[in-house]
Amino acid sequence: MAITKESLDQLARAGKPRPRWVQAVLDFSWQRPLGTVGAVIIIVMTIVGLSAQWLAPFDALATDYGSMLAAPGSQHWLGTDAYGRDVMSRIIFGSRTALIVGLGASFIGATLGALIGVASAYFGGRIDMTVQRIMDVLISFPLIILALAVVAILGTGVQNVILAIAIPMIPRCARVVRSSALSVREMPYVDAARAAGYRDSRIVLRHMLPNVMAPYLIMLTAFLGQAILLEASLSFLGLGVQEPVAAWGLMLRGAAVDFAETAPWMAIFPGVAISLAVFGFNLFGDSLRDALDPRLRTQ
Amino acid sequence: MLHYILKRLLLMIPTLFGVAVLIFLLLRVVPGDVVEARYLTQGSQFQSQDLMNQERKKLGLDQPIWKQFTSWMGGVLRLDFGLSMWTGSPITEEIKLRFALSLQLAVMATLVATLLAIPLGILAAIKQDTWIDYAVRVFSIAGLAMPSFWLGIVMILVMLIFFKWLPPMVFTPFWVNPWENLAQLIWPALAVGYRYSAVATRMMRSAMLEVLREDYIRTARAKGLWLKLILGRHALKNAMLPVITVVGLEFAFLMGGLVVTEQVFNLNGLGLLFVEAISHRDYTLTQALVLIVAAVFIFVNFATDIAYAWLDPRIRYR
Repeated sequence: MAITKESLDQLARAGKPRPRWVQAVLDFSWQRPLGTVGAVIIIVMTIVGLSAQWLAPFDALATDYGSMLAAPGSQHWLGTDAYGRDVMSRIIFGSRTALIVGLGASFIGATLGALIGVASAYFGGRIDMTVQRIMDVLISFPLIILALAVVAILGTGVQNVILAIAIPMIPRCARVVRSSALSVREMPYVDAARAAGYRDSRIVLRHMLPNVMAPYLIMLTAFLGQAILLEASLSFLGLGVQEPVAAWGLMLRGAAVDFAETAPWMAIFPGVAISLAVFGFNLFGDSLRDALDPRLRTQ
Repeated sequence: MLHYILKRLLLMIPTLFGVAVLIFLLLRVVPGDVVEARYLTQGSQFQSQDLMNQERKKLGLDQPIWKQFTSWMGGVLRLDFGLSMWTGSPITEEIKLRFALSLQLAVMATLVATLLAIPLGILAAIKQDTWIDYAVRVFSIAGLAMPSFWLGIVMILVMLIFFKWLPPMVFTPFWVNPWENLAQLIWPALAVGYRYSAVATRMMRSAMLEVLREDYIRTARAKGLWLKLILGRHALKNAMLPVITVVGLEFAFLMGGLVVTEQVFNLNGLGLLFVEAISHRDYTLTQALVLIVAAVFIFVNFATDIAYAWLDPRIRYR
């Protein structure tokens, strides 16, 4: 074999240790098979959501009154709904909605919660006391009730649903992050930053926030599954994503219940999709928590 | 201990007062009121401003906010929540039956959940890393993933398709006809209880694993105690603490948060009433419901703390 630049590069690469992130991924999948199953479900769901327009066999919105309530078969693998829309295509497009709402809501909720938690711990004293009491009151509402109240005020639609799910998550994340931030506040580097005369906002954002990343990520992933469930619940009540957008919770509503006896596929498959997605996010979240925070290990 | 209980009971008052102030202000900050909501549903937005103001005057919405608040608080102190702004009937009447239904469902779901969670959690812990353990864990993670309203739909479907039978759709109080009552409520209790048990099973398992590593368990084993006795008398009591917390939190949640499951099973519980009250901008009803749910939440928290002390004599409250 002739010595070419490519083969030399290959040799050089083979000798080098793998990049750190590749090694981290390999370690994670070796040590936590259940978490890897979760990660695979998430990755598949993301790919499906991103390439929905190419993957879906039919247009998710196209009605076909010729084949209303068709049973699963060679043409419509998972059957059709009361408007003749292909259930499988709607599930594929629904994964996009679930991802947008799930990621959006848990990112906004966890991030704002973390900011409030860190700031509350940093300022301490009366500010901390006041903020925590407000959080207590907010936590005493069930998640779904607070989300419903927000929807009742803001109205329905994807953006409002994201906000409605994010808001009840804020106090839950704030409380957890605050407890970690309390110990971070006592670290010498925070004193040093204060002595150096940095502004409060800089200390909170640049010095403390990066050090509460572990609880932040844990809360974020724990919220993801919950956000998808909440979105489905809100849409099922007719207070979430609105027709004709394809969303799993919405698919379970109305006709799916009315025609449940004759066309059970309409009620079964979207529920399976929800369960599978939440299952994946929960498995991954659990394993990530074990990996990042040994104190919280469920063993 | 008695001193502590009294202190905690007294501390509930400022917390509930805070909740009352917050919900009162929040409702009035939100755009729209009950008068507007009513005309919007009747489809005639073009009602004269005068007529709407008259309605508001009748409901006392024209008075200054502090006056509205003090008169509401005065009523609450006498346990009189006033009239619903939407239906005009006394709120105590509106809530009474629904509260009974929600409470019964919450109790039944808790029974289902604990009956599943405690044995499964213990089993998974003592058979750690065997196929039994994995099966229990998958069963519980699946319970967390399945929406309980969907589980409800599937249950109804199975009964309908395979047994040609549907649970009764009208609520009968337990004291009127216990059989009818249970035939209706057992299904939502199972659907909700499964998810609830998933949370508790995971907690039971991890708490049990931790306790089984303690020195006193090793001592008990070393002196040759019967395994059942070790588990029942030494381990279970100590492992129950975190489980009770979880059960308490979930119970409080069930009292008001079962909106979707109530919808599926056609139950008129507190959750659906809450949604109606908010969308009607029915201030008085929403306020009453929020106070009741918050009171249940605070009381359950208090009860779990007392249960701690009872289970673990090392915990002494002052």
